[in-house]
Amino acid sequence: MSWIKKEWTAQQADRWSKEDYLTFIISPVVYFLLALGVALSLLLLWYGWVILAVSLILLVVMIKIIDPKLKALSEDYEIKQKEYLEDLERIERWEE
Amino acid sequence: MANFAFLDWFWLVVFIILMIVCGVLFYRLGKRSMSDFFLAGRGLPWWLPAASVYATHSATDTPIWVSGVIYRYGLRGIWYTFFSAWCAISAFASTRIFRRSLAYTQAEWQTLRFSGMGAEMLRGWIAGWQVFMNMFVLGWVGIAMGKLCNLLFGWPEWIGLILFSSLCAIYVLAAGYWGVIMADFQQGVIAFSVIVLVSIWGIAAAGGPQRIMIKLESIGQSWRLNPFAFSGWTSGDFPVVWFLTMLVIAVIGGFGMGTSIDWYPEAQRIQSARTIRDASYSIWSGSALIVVRNSLWAIAIIAFFSLYPNIQSTAEYEMAWYRIGFEFLPVGLIGFFFAAIVAIHLSTISTHLNLGASYATRDLYQHYFRPKASDRELVWVGRVSTLILLLGSFLYGLMMQEITQWLIFALWIMAAGIWLPSILQVVWWRFNSWGYLSSWIANLGLSWLVVWVLPEFKVIPVLPDYLQFWFMMVLGALIYIPTTFLTPHEDMDRLVKYYVMSRPLGWWSPVREEAERRGLLQYEGQQTERGMK
Repeated sequence: MSWIKKEWTAQQADRWSKEDYLTFIISPVVYFLLALGVALSLLLLWYGWVILAVSLILLVVMIKIIDPKLKALSEDYEIKQKEYLEDLERIERWEE
Repeated sequence: MANFAFLDWFWLVVFIILMIVCGVLFYRLGKRSMSDFFLAGRGLPWWLPAASVYATHSATDTPIWVSGVIYRYGLRGIWYTFFSAWCAISAFASTRIFRRSLAYTQAEWQTLRFSGMGAEMLRGWIAGWQVFMNMFVLGWVGIAMGKLCNLLFGWPEWIGLILFSSLCAIYVLAAGYWGVIMADFQQGVIAFSVIVLVSIWGIAAAGGPQRIMIKLESIGQSWRLNPFAFSGWTSGDFPVVWFLTMLVIAVIGGFGMGTSIDWYPEAQRIQSARTIRDASYSIWSGSALIVVRNSLWAIAIIAFFSLYPNIQSTAEYEMAWYRIGFEFLPVGLIGFFFAAIVAIHLSTISTHLNLGASYATRDLYQHYFRPKASDRELVWVGRVSTLILLLGSFLYGLMMQEITQWLIFALWIMAAGIWLPSILQVVWWRFNSWGYLSSWIANLGLSWLVVWVLPEFKVIPVLPDYLQFWFMMVLGALIYIPTTFLTPHEDMDRLVKYYVMSRPLGWWSPVREEAERRGLLQYEGQQTERGMK
């Protein structure tokens, strides 16, 4: 999946990109197939196992797509978080 | 009536003690600050809030409801339970945006996204509504436990209601959200294990999958195994348009905040996660477990149907999953089963006690009465609020029979008319507090009109629920869209600040450009573009 970005700077990760949009599509599909796959597998229907397997493969693909980006933006945000929290408390106390 | 042997009582008492001790152990952490009492210090790894999402949304009444829809509609009924799919997109969209805002509660978020009087009115309204809603849910879930204990042991309903909610309050009062989350983890593990065990036991008791399928075919009910057994495009009890409407509400709703009633407890879990990544994974995986759980239940209920296909009484077939456990499990495991029921009950009660108290403390007491209160004082206010919610829930629970019908209606209208505005407030910069407020007010009036008044006077026919949803959405938009354009946009300073902090998704170009003009945003891609020009 060379068209999926694996190295992110904090600034790049802050912007919504095709990796996010792909995740928005894959994620509900995983849920949908998971619901079907578990139910039909419990009935020991062969296509239930296939659906379940596809949902798990898609889950791995989704994590591979989104995880590098989530890591980058999380690391950067945690650096700024302390300052943001102080600001939030000032607003809460009507000081700002 | 259930027959409990010594071993059953042993399991039950051991598990209850474990659950309470597990929560109380975190007393010292819970009392350190308000952030600890309501958000566990914002430092949890993803799997702890994930277990809490799962445990919280598995309540005593959940298997009753799932049993009802599956027994009635067959496997296609699984889509009635698919509303939790809003987390599929939310985990990577609104969860990220909300986590970045750092708001303690959804009510607080309103004053970060909007400004001025409108924002304060929204915060006060949502905080008050959430205190009420959490008390109501506590009463609702509490009385479900009362009814179950009445069925099993013959106790008066109030005993089950008061006993288990009070046991739960011990660790919520002591350790706040730390107690909730740690007990939820333990309760989630117990509950999931037992759901797997009982469901597979039920399938085995019905003779296994092959036997179930043969039995359903022999009685002309094999359509129950088809998850897509539609009754037509628009006709019958399971039309395609209902299914599509449900998918839209569930999936697209993930772009908004507050599109589902479950958003509010999830918002607390999002803020308690230590990073944005942890928040995303916690919401996604907690809801994935719910999806799996529903499928497990569904097949167990189909197994039950193959054993008892002629039950007409809704109240009777709604108890299907409980009956599988109490009728088929061997002595010794029944106590284990009941301990798991107590676990799912306590996990829901603890969440709503702490969540309701967080709105009362952070949004009402601190924001409007004592802005400069110390952490110690706020923790104590949190405890007092927890206690008030507990006592209020007893009252609600005992009068629930009379008010349930209209409150379920109230929940439905809350969801239908503000679904789109709850998305717009996240994705569209121009949508302002007056637009959002007007959507809430319009929704209250329109829903009564569309659902009851107009059909009563034959102005419109009684509409199926999916049509009510679309109809109310269009009517509501005729009010809140003009209101938005007739009132000024939010203060640009506030919007820029919110944008820089939260980086929302959608139509935010004017705000982003203003933030760039002020030098608050720097993108590598843009610098390159400018350099090239």
